Amino acid sequence: MDKLAPLVADILDFIAADGCSDDQFDALALRLFAHQFAANAPYRSFCQQRGVTTRKVNTWRDIPAVPIDAFKATELRCAPPSEQERVFMTSGTTRADTRGRHFHPLLDVYDLSMIRNFAQRFMRGDARMPMGVLFPDEVAMPNSSLAHYLALAKSTFGSDDSRYFMTPQGIDLPALWQTLDAAVARGEPYALLGASYSIVHVLDALQAQGKRFQLPAGSRILDTGGYKGQSRELPLETFYASLSDLLGVPRTHCINMYGMTELSTQFYDDGNAEVPSVKSGPHWIRSRLVDPVSGQDVAPGERGILVHCDLANFNSVTTILTEDVGVARGAGFLLLGRAEGVDAKGCSLAVEEFLRATSA
Amino acid sequence: MTTHTVQAGYLPGLTADEVAWQQLSFSQHGTRVDVAVPMLTALQMNALAERVRRASALHLKTMSVSDIIGVIDRAMARLLDRDDPFRQQADQWLPVVTGFDADMVRLGLTAFFKTFRAPQLHRFVAEDFANPKVLDGFQPTPKGGAVRAFGPDLLVHSWAGNVPALALWSFVCGLLVKAGNIGKLPSAEPLFAGWFARLLAEVHPPWVECMAVVWWRGAGDDGAAELYAQADTVVAYGGNDSLDAIRKRLPVTTRFLPHGHKLGVGLIGVSALDTLKAPPLARLAAWDVMRYDQQGCYSPHVFYVERGGAVTPRAFADYLAAELANLHRRFPRRAQGLDDAAAVAKWQQAFEWKLLAAEHRQDALIGGPTTAWQVAYRDQLQPLAPTALQRSIQVVAVDALESVMPVIGAQRRYLQTAGVAASPEALYRLADMLGAAGVTRISAIGAMSAPEAGWHHDGRFNLLDLVRMTEIENSAEMAAQPLARYAD
Repeated sequence: MDKLAPLVADILDFIAADGCSDDQFDALALRLFAHQFAANAPYRSFCQQRGVTTRKVNTWRDIPAVPIDAFKATELRCAPPSEQERVFMTSGTTRADTRGRHFHPLLDVYDLSMIRNFAQRFMRGDARMPMGVLFPDEVAMPNSSLAHYLALAKSTFGSDDSRYFMTPQGIDLPALWQTLDAAVARGEPYALLGASYSIVHVLDALQAQGKRFQLPAGSRILDTGGYKGQSRELPLETFYASLSDLLGVPRTHCINMYGMTELSTQFYDDGNAEVPSVKSGPHWIRSRLVDPVSGQDVAPGERGILVHCDLANFNSVTTILTEDVGVARGAGFLLLGRAEGVDAKGCSLAVEEFLRATSA
Repeated sequence: MTTHTVQAGYLPGLTADEVAWQQLSFSQHGTRVDVAVPMLTALQMNALAERVRRASALHLKTMSVSDIIGVIDRAMARLLDRDDPFRQQADQWLPVVTGFDADMVRLGLTAFFKTFRAPQLHRFVAEDFANPKVLDGFQPTPKGGAVRAFGPDLLVHSWAGNVPALALWSFVCGLLVKAGNIGKLPSAEPLFAGWFARLLAEVHPPWVECMAVVWWRGAGDDGAAELYAQADTVVAYGGNDSLDAIRKRLPVTTRFLPHGHKLGVGLIGVSALDTLKAPPLARLAAWDVMRYDQQGCYSPHVFYVERGGAVTPRAFADYLAAELANLHRRFPRRAQGLDDAAAVAKWQQAFEWKLLAAEHRQDALIGGPTTAWQVAYRDQLQPLAPTALQRSIQVVAVDALESVMPVIGAQRRYLQTAGVAASPEALYRLADMLGAAGVTRISAIGAMSAPEAGWHHDGRFNLLDLVRMTEIENSAEMAAQPLARYAD
């Protein structure tokens, strides 16, 4: 850890700064790549197989991207396992050997990355506000990066009366209604945060009970993570229209966070008045759109698979190849869903369908 | 880029300007074709179903099976004639809409059409009916009395477009049992079925209203609901999700014959692995992988190869890779869309990372990101699981082919074709085990992706499943005797 300390300190400084130049981004990306190439043996072999060494990497774009499945196949880490490390795991299946694991020897970098970004993109300058969390806490889900993220949001930005509404039996709806009623009565803005599927359950309950709230101006909602088969799937347009209709929060204040267990930095949109919304990240993460086979950038305006280079990912790999399809838009990208493979055409079994069927 | 427009579907009794048309666009190698597919209202669909039902009662149900075979045979002769305009448009447009290599499509179509000539169709009927005359009239039965087979009045098909001209199987089956046929075109290959209907009407004009070919988007609208409600029997091909969606829409009394996702497997025995036999066998295996880029339900995903021969499983994998490389030069793999490419890259990279993490030092990926095929070699028994298709295949070394049965059996609901290369004794021994595990078709390596005429698709009876039997019991025949004019 001692050898690591100067690097971590520089990353923290980098995140704490207000921005960076292209050269500054490349300089830190290259330092991290050199560190990871040296300390992470499977990653080194992966790079060498592609003929890439530290000499061949001149910008962050040259860093070989690791597919997220690699987080399942092997331990992608630089620091050796330790007592105080936190392990975030991907959800999806219950089998431990098919869950991706991301090792954090310390959470300082992750936490600073989250806090800096959240303050700007979700709090929008407000210091604290009352928050309701529609997701289990860290005790219930110690390996969930989202549980940690939401706990951090609540402890750093939530006022004292902030609370969780998740119980082992599901969402405590009566308490939630009571809290929202009180917020309306006080005229004080309220923030509701949770997994997209938890919010769908709330919307369904509101509809079923014929309830609606008009939350005070400045209230906001953060949803993330999609549906994961835990609720019915709603088209984006319907989802945000219902949110706005049933909770009285304008769509400009319904913010979606796009994050991944394999990253230490999140992307946000500036509300969902229009869907799909443009997502973007802070200065310490950059994204490219690539052809998944060649790894080369797609032509401007073309759909591609998203590759993210996250300088807060100091212990695993900076650069990951996602399974998400995107298209560049302004300073960010539109998220167009997951690459599905083409199993809809016929009767030859495709991997995706097979995995769905066998994990059920 | 040159753009062409083709009108798809076949709608007897409706003119083009009476229906709404949706445009599907396909482009390949600098040629673009816009295919206009018809979308019918519930009212139009209802009238169409009625017309087809009535016409087939008059002009199809009254023909003998042999005469029907004669008509289909004449249509096939046209399709096998490379100077015929129907064949020429198939050769011209099917590669563009499917993206498959033109030569691959041309050879595939010829081989496919040959299995629908008169002798093959007679065998096809005889395969399911010991006495094919039961389709033409009541035939005496050994137990006494008589029996006749009646096909559906209205048979509805929901076709898949993974392989060009796939609609032929069920379309011809429907004709052989004298059903009125209405088919739904697949969006991925919306051309062949409509052409075939037009060709039949040209070859035998009385059939002009005995069939129709329509289209709808996704699960369909009111038009689709109307058609499903009227069908006696529905045959559907496709992913299990879409089959489930169709099943949910059918009245409980409608017979539903689904053909869902399947997972093909090859077994190569030690007796086939000497230095003389193994290389040509690898070539045949490569053909099975190459045909339609593994999109068929019968396409192989894994070859299990026995150890102990002069050619090792690893060497067999190398031969297979070399043949795939050769075949790509002759029949290039089709261009990959982003989704296909992502699936192939994911499969391949997941395997690479397993290798990096690996205990199994013998495993190897032959080919790579830049090749249009990939062979993943595994040195230890692996589960039977699908690859990413698009000519990606696993070769798995095993000590004995018998040891593969548990992993094959574990995928019972996805089993259909197993290719086997083994001695006659071993073939029958393995066939018993494969059949018990759930496999319904055992073919030679090289024939996996070219099923023979009259095969029992997914282990079912293609024609028998479509008909209902009407019996005159012995009692009725006996009771009629005293009522005859000649009765004493």
